[in-house]
Amino acid sequence: MSVRVLNPNAEVLNKSAALHMTINAAKGLQDVLKSNLGPKGTIKMLVGGSGDIKLTKDGNTLLKEMQIQNPTAIMIARTAVAQDDISGDGTTSTVIFIGELMKQSDRCIDEGMHPRVLVDGFEIAKRATLQFLDTFKTPVVMGDEPDKEILKMVARTTLRTKLYEGLADQLTDIVVNSVLCIRKPEEPIDLFMVEIMHMRHKFDVDTRLVEGLVLDHGSRHPDMKRRAENCHILTCNVSLEYEKSEINAGFFYSNAEQREAMVTAERRSVDERVQKIIELKNKVCAGNDNSFVIINQKGIDPPSLDLLAREGIIALRRAKRRNMERLVLACGGEAVNSVDDLTPDSLGWAGLVYEHVLGEEKYTFVEQVKNPHSCTILIKGPNDHTIAQIKDAVRDGLRSVKNTIEDECVVLGAGAFEVAARQHLINKVKKTVQGRAQLGVEAFANALLVVPKTLAENAGLDTQDVIISLTSEHDKGNIVGLNLQDGEPIDPLLAGIFDNYSVKRQLINSGPVIASQLLLVDEVIRAGRNMRKPT
Amino acid sequence: MREIVTIQVGEFANFVGSHFWNFQDELLGLASDPESDPIFRNHNLNMDVLYRSGETLQGVATYTPRLVSVNLKGSLGTMSSRGTLYNEGSSSRSDSSTTWFGDVDTQRSEPRKRNLFLQSLYEEEPKEGKEIEDKDIVGCLDEGVDCWTDFSKSHYHPQSLYELNGLWMDPQDFNNYGIGKDVFSEASRGEEICDRLRFFVEECDHIQGIKFLVDDSGGFSAVAADFLESMADEYTNVPVLLYSVRSPMSQMTPKKTVSHKLHDAISFSRLSSFCKLFTPIGLPSLTGSKASKFLNLGDEKPYRSSAVYAATLHASTIPFRMRPSSSDSSEVSSSMDVNTLVQLLTGRGRQNIVAILESAMPAPPLAGKQLENTLLTNLQALTPEVTEDIEDNQAVESMCILGALRSEDKEASVSEVKNAVDASYEQAITKTKPLFCSLSVSRCPLPVPLPFPSIFGNLVGRKGEILSSPVSDALYRGSLDVHSIPIAARWRSSSAILPFLENRMGNLEKLGIQWGAMGSDVVRTWGFGREELQEMRESLSKMVSELNPQFFESSDSD
Repeated sequence: MSVRVLNPNAEVLNKSAALHMTINAAKGLQDVLKSNLGPKGTIKMLVGGSGDIKLTKDGNTLLKEMQIQNPTAIMIARTAVAQDDISGDGTTSTVIFIGELMKQSDRCIDEGMHPRVLVDGFEIAKRATLQFLDTFKTPVVMGDEPDKEILKMVARTTLRTKLYEGLADQLTDIVVNSVLCIRKPEEPIDLFMVEIMHMRHKFDVDTRLVEGLVLDHGSRHPDMKRRAENCHILTCNVSLEYEKSEINAGFFYSNAEQREAMVTAERRSVDERVQKIIELKNKVCAGNDNSFVIINQKGIDPPSLDLLAREGIIALRRAKRRNMERLVLACGGEAVNSVDDLTPDSLGWAGLVYEHVLGEEKYTFVEQVKNPHSCTILIKGPNDHTIAQIKDAVRDGLRSVKNTIEDECVVLGAGAFEVAARQHLINKVKKTVQGRAQLGVEAFANALLVVPKTLAENAGLDTQDVIISLTSEHDKGNIVGLNLQDGEPIDPLLAGIFDNYSVKRQLINSGPVIASQLLLVDEVIRAGRNMRKPT
Repeated sequence: MREIVTIQVGEFANFVGSHFWNFQDELLGLASDPESDPIFRNHNLNMDVLYRSGETLQGVATYTPRLVSVNLKGSLGTMSSRGTLYNEGSSSRSDSSTTWFGDVDTQRSEPRKRNLFLQSLYEEEPKEGKEIEDKDIVGCLDEGVDCWTDFSKSHYHPQSLYELNGLWMDPQDFNNYGIGKDVFSEASRGEEICDRLRFFVEECDHIQGIKFLVDDSGGFSAVAADFLESMADEYTNVPVLLYSVRSPMSQMTPKKTVSHKLHDAISFSRLSSFCKLFTPIGLPSLTGSKASKFLNLGDEKPYRSSAVYAATLHASTIPFRMRPSSSDSSEVSSSMDVNTLVQLLTGRGRQNIVAILESAMPAPPLAGKQLENTLLTNLQALTPEVTEDIEDNQAVESMCILGALRSEDKEASVSEVKNAVDASYEQAITKTKPLFCSLSVSRCPLPVPLPFPSIFGNLVGRKGEILSSPVSDALYRGSLDVHSIPIAARWRSSSAILPFLENRMGNLEKLGIQWGAMGSDVVRTWGFGREELQEMRESLSKMVSELNPQFFESSDSD
């Protein structure tokens, strides 16, 4: 009431209305994302108000493209997007899992159960499921030479939910090889060291792994070579353009000559920097036909480009900051911040540097490098939609490989874990729980089945039949997943279907937390606008 | 050639920007039209400073603004975020996905309808008998403009328009610094925005500066501040001219709440720390100001108020594009680059980086009969919270006059303008005289494009001359009646800005820092610690003391 006094426009929903609003919102969001899940899911085409078209199979992208207004739905969406940020996948699963928890709760609450008891049950079930996950997981020994086969299987599982099989399988190798390329022993994997570059050119199957770097710009001088072999690579962050430096600030030219003198002095110091680079070039390229390439993070103005071009040097300006790091990892040498630090040792090496032009876009390939620790996945496709699809998939694929290496374990996929965990909760855990919280455990257990159910539904199978045959196999002691081709149980181990441990863990952790929060809402207050109108 | 890259962040900033690019588009059109006034054909302005040349994949040449525009998702109306030029030939082919053989689920938003103006733009050839009349277009725009794309006639590059997605927020809820705080850094949005900017900067042979417009009335200040911070890191020596623009609408709430005041203080303090020159624009009400002398503005519609700001912005940035080789030609005089302006305004004695922007629109004729019609008294400050008629003998000014008229509808020559301005400064009361004033003149007036709002009063003539008696009964005259106007804009670095600074400093202290301050919860939820706030206050008080030498003495004695 007091809210009404403070703000007469405020709208207050009481407990049961609030609960129904939240549950409906959760279901609504689940319905939108449900059909996306798994290798038999549908792809979503979003047509915007301006006629803009977006195509996506990725739950994360889909959520971000949607205009969500309901506060509950926004909360779930935020959790799901956070899931993706943390573990790189599982957005769709998070949304449908939360939705299912709410659905199951709805049933219990209708039967007169208090949300608090339900939430207690969720908490018990969550802890038990996490423990079960640790016993259920399949350890993978990483060591110095990771088991490439298992990495490929994990990557393939993810990619096949985003791309058609042929393309997914092709990308599997690319993704695994690129992570292995940037992996350094005893260090966390920094996926930013894999550059993802795209070109609107040719076809999706022309996507490839470039051992080296592809930059999205070229030299800015007409006389510079478009292709060079045996290149010394200078990675630097040195301004090679004339600019009024800070020292001149506050200084006013009293006459034109003075101004001219200042300009000349400034120009001279730029030229000196260029000259030092040219000296180094002459030193390392004397007596051989090696080439010299500068990739600079700062600007290079036309007079400097002229000087460099005259010496046969290729120069690129305004490189991305990240590429400074990647270049050094790919080509060797070190990034130079001042021309005084120039030594032959600071130079990297690439067997081939060439430029590719598409319309107004230029690409520079730095290839044939020695012992690279950075690489580029070059995505190709005839249109933006294809490129965006592949990009989403590659991103997820990279994360899955990284997760596997860091988790040092994987989880059997195709719904096997969910069914096993459900049986574990129902057959073992539930019995140890006192009182009505048992129902909370049961609701949680049944909610887990939403993953295999949805997989089956999207494949056009009868969900009831599928669940019965899966649970009975599990009760016999066989760990099985769902074969989406024929609806029969399969052994995920033999089929090579694996999910990430960390993704599952995060999912089981965050889902019940949000569901519990939503269930315990007993009043919704919103100032000003009508929230009962459909969104 | 010295390029400028423009950045527009936030709703109102894009409204202003849209008008701005309409002016440029109009100038480009008039320059190539053999039937236009010769004054537009040889304006001696270098449009390449703001525009880039490119080509599409099909090899069609393009000429588009060097622009990065940031706004909320859904703010582009009927325009595609990829712009209009670079779309592949057949849309049907590109719609189909080749990467997924499964089913396609289509979700269609209600298509937005193009208004008459946009229909007339997209119509290749006018159909028989169904030609859209200019009169109707102007009418429909005056009736209703929802988003800035509704009246934009410029083409944009696919890299230009960036939408913040995944915020799931109504524009009116995105209204304070705290809410925008993590938007830039989250979900690699910042990285994508910086990549867009880099695309334009890499092309520049010798960039002279970045012109940054931000709608700082809400969460966008935080986005802009983070963006500026990363720019300061990446492009250390490129000067940033920052304009904060606000619509009268955003300031219409009857009483400013604690959170508003804190937002203003924090947003100003953060934004001003990453630029070379900060120009706040946005009066709480334009209707009551001198700006409305010859204009009928109305505060409710951002479409109308943004037009005045955009015109002033255009005038104030003209010196950056005058061809230096032809400097002091018969068309233009005193070109200036961004750095020179910054040095001029901030580098003389006082290090004050907050400038006042004033405008006279339309600028009065030089041979004004009555005394009150002289240029100087007609200038209206568009910067809020400034003192009028302040005595400040250290003030520095930079004025730009475009297309001034001698009398009635005769264009004045460059030297005439110079002499007239000199004379008016001579006549001015001594105490308001600045220490120094630079003057840039262009003979090319501001062209009024078709989608310009009908804001002119009935004393404004066809060439923007001020008439002695009303031409018609119509209260609102628009682009059909007025084709160009003379305009003057003036930057001032003066202690007149002190109230603006002191209000912010005072509010920060009173509402955010003091023990038991009313807003201490607000700043905490926005994620600011005490030290951070104290640092902000330090920098604000430094700015104040720069202009008011007594400030430190008085605060020490407390």
